[in-house]
Amino acid sequence: MVKRGAASCLLALALPAGAAEFNAALMVAPEVDTPNTASPYYVGPPLVPDRASRQDLELRLREGGFNVQETLRWQTIRDRTPEQHGIANQFYYDGELGDGLGWTAGKKLMSWGVGFGFKPLDVVQRENRRLVNRPALVGAPVLAVERFTADEAWTVAWTHPGRGEGSDDFRDASLALRWYRLSAGGDDLHAVARLSHRRGLEAGVGATRVIGEEWSIYGAALYERRTRRLMNMLVGNGGTLAAADPMSEQVGGGGTKAVAGAQWTGASGWSTLAEAWYDADAYSRAQWQRLDALTASQHALAGIAPAAAIAGNVAWSSQAYLTPNLLRENLLLRLGYDDRDGFRPYAELLATPRDGGRVWTIGAAFEGNRQRLALGLRQAGGADGSAYARAPIRRAAWAEWRLALF
Amino acid sequence: MSRRLAALALAVALPASAAENVAALLKQADAFRLPAESVRVETQVELYKNGALDKERLYTVYVKPGRRSLVLMKSPSEIGQKVLMLADQFWLLMPESQRPLRITASQKLLGEASTGDIASMTWSEDYDGVVEDEVDCPVPPPNLPEATAPPKPRRCLHLDLAQARSGVTYARIELYLEKSIKLPIKADLYVGSGKRAKEAWYVPKPIEGQQRIMAMLLLDDIQPNRRTVVHYRSIVPKAAPDEFFNPAALVRNSLSGW
Repeated sequence: MVKRGAASCLLALALPAGAAEFNAALMVAPEVDTPNTASPYYVGPPLVPDRASRQDLELRLREGGFNVQETLRWQTIRDRTPEQHGIANQFYYDGELGDGLGWTAGKKLMSWGVGFGFKPLDVVQRENRRLVNRPALVGAPVLAVERFTADEAWTVAWTHPGRGEGSDDFRDASLALRWYRLSAGGDDLHAVARLSHRRGLEAGVGATRVIGEEWSIYGAALYERRTRRLMNMLVGNGGTLAAADPMSEQVGGGGTKAVAGAQWTGASGWSTLAEAWYDADAYSRAQWQRLDALTASQHALAGIAPAAAIAGNVAWSSQAYLTPNLLRENLLLRLGYDDRDGFRPYAELLATPRDGGRVWTIGAAFEGNRQRLALGLRQAGGADGSAYARAPIRRAAWAEWRLALF
Repeated sequence: MSRRLAALALAVALPASAAENVAALLKQADAFRLPAESVRVETQVELYKNGALDKERLYTVYVKPGRRSLVLMKSPSEIGQKVLMLADQFWLLMPESQRPLRITASQKLLGEASTGDIASMTWSEDYDGVVEDEVDCPVPPPNLPEATAPPKPRRCLHLDLAQARSGVTYARIELYLEKSIKLPIKADLYVGSGKRAKEAWYVPKPIEGQQRIMAMLLLDDIQPNRRTVVHYRSIVPKAAPDEFFNPAALVRNSLSGW
């Protein structure tokens, strides 16, 4: 990874500077997490690191249809050895075959569909929109052909060509199709389909409508032939402790993902957003209750079974918290403000109505001429017994300082 | 309504030259800002706060007939951002996600330098109105280094314009055009609530023997300590292909050769 990233950077620097657009930015992004020591899923550091910082030098180059985005990263995590590595975020060429007909080869971000907190139609990039202090996205290797007219677009993309089944959905080879149309009434219409090893067929549609000068509404739904979620195999087989990681991906039948939302932005700079979504890949309330019961039975073996075996099993189960959505049903409310002078504060509430879970987030961004500072604080909680209230991390505070060098 | 009637009555009472068709007047005024229907404009925006330069932004703007504009952000802190305007419909592309976001007219107004101020370079397609009266041309305030008062007083046509289409940046404009050649001098820009949001001053320069508006000064009424200077560094006739004005095409770098 280091060699490939460094080679790309050298190539970027070697191209003629006069004709190309070349930009560089420096980012420092520290994060401090407060563990929830009362959580049954908490096992303590170093399994749950509480302080980390990411330092990135981001380089972008555009020359004709050639595009490169590289990151040189130095990452520090408390009680661990610092890591340095290079990341090729994007490295692709956009070529033209004729009027309105283009092709793309290389590694490129392909974010599709509608949604703020959740994007069901994002079948290629599969961006986790709820991460705090997100690093720059990494594109998918792709061969694509795109057709554009004034109001319609088609994309046919072969992602991870020749790779076969991947370790996760992003890395899975697939054939993906995207259609977009701007309707005569001014609505954005979207449709996607994807054929992959892991999911089989996924197909969905979405739309955005602007109402007046201040409102927009949007919605999207996707059907997937196979649902997948990480489950603890001890649940249901009668076991209590495992000697090896019992978390395994369970493949289920067809399922749906859907999102619907409305957004208002006033001339004053205030804005609000309400969005609800359903994710068939997430746990149901009953599945969380069964995992909670297993974890409780593991803790009940304290003094009987080796402490390391109990801690290890709890740590394995805590992987259930790594999914983008903890429960299938989610509701997001957001209030934001833009003072038109670079100050943009916001507050968000994510609720999981099935179990009463809540996640509050407040943050602000300050933008100067070349600098940008973003601060945020997120707190998980809600009803006792809810997945978020039992999360091993209760609070996260983060910052990101970005300096555009040139 | 009574104000409009009074303006119409005044227009009738004015000399014939002042009561010309407003659409024709606006087309003449537009020609000082856009020399062709399809253009590429290189724009430099300076944002001053309390008289000191606070921020500087660079934009490349492609304008086509049919109220179509594409704004490419070029400053290091905004590089990769794009705003597409198709009549009263707007999209924003952020480089982090590479996904065109549909935005409302209100969202288009957010940010430090309103993309509406940068990309909207004509009045004739968006506004109707009346010639309110004929007056001495307004003179820029003395504290504006970019705009200076002319050596001798000039006469101006004072136009009262109302938005003719939805999605325009300002609901109403009071526009002052130099009477003899219809050169834009000043505009008072009002938002939908009726409140004046900004005062714009237009700075002409001779380009190839013709007067052209090569800078626009914006004084913010809502944030009076702010002043924005929009420099049009180059305006080149250029007709980018229609498919580049497709929202889904924003993710491609197709305009690099245009």
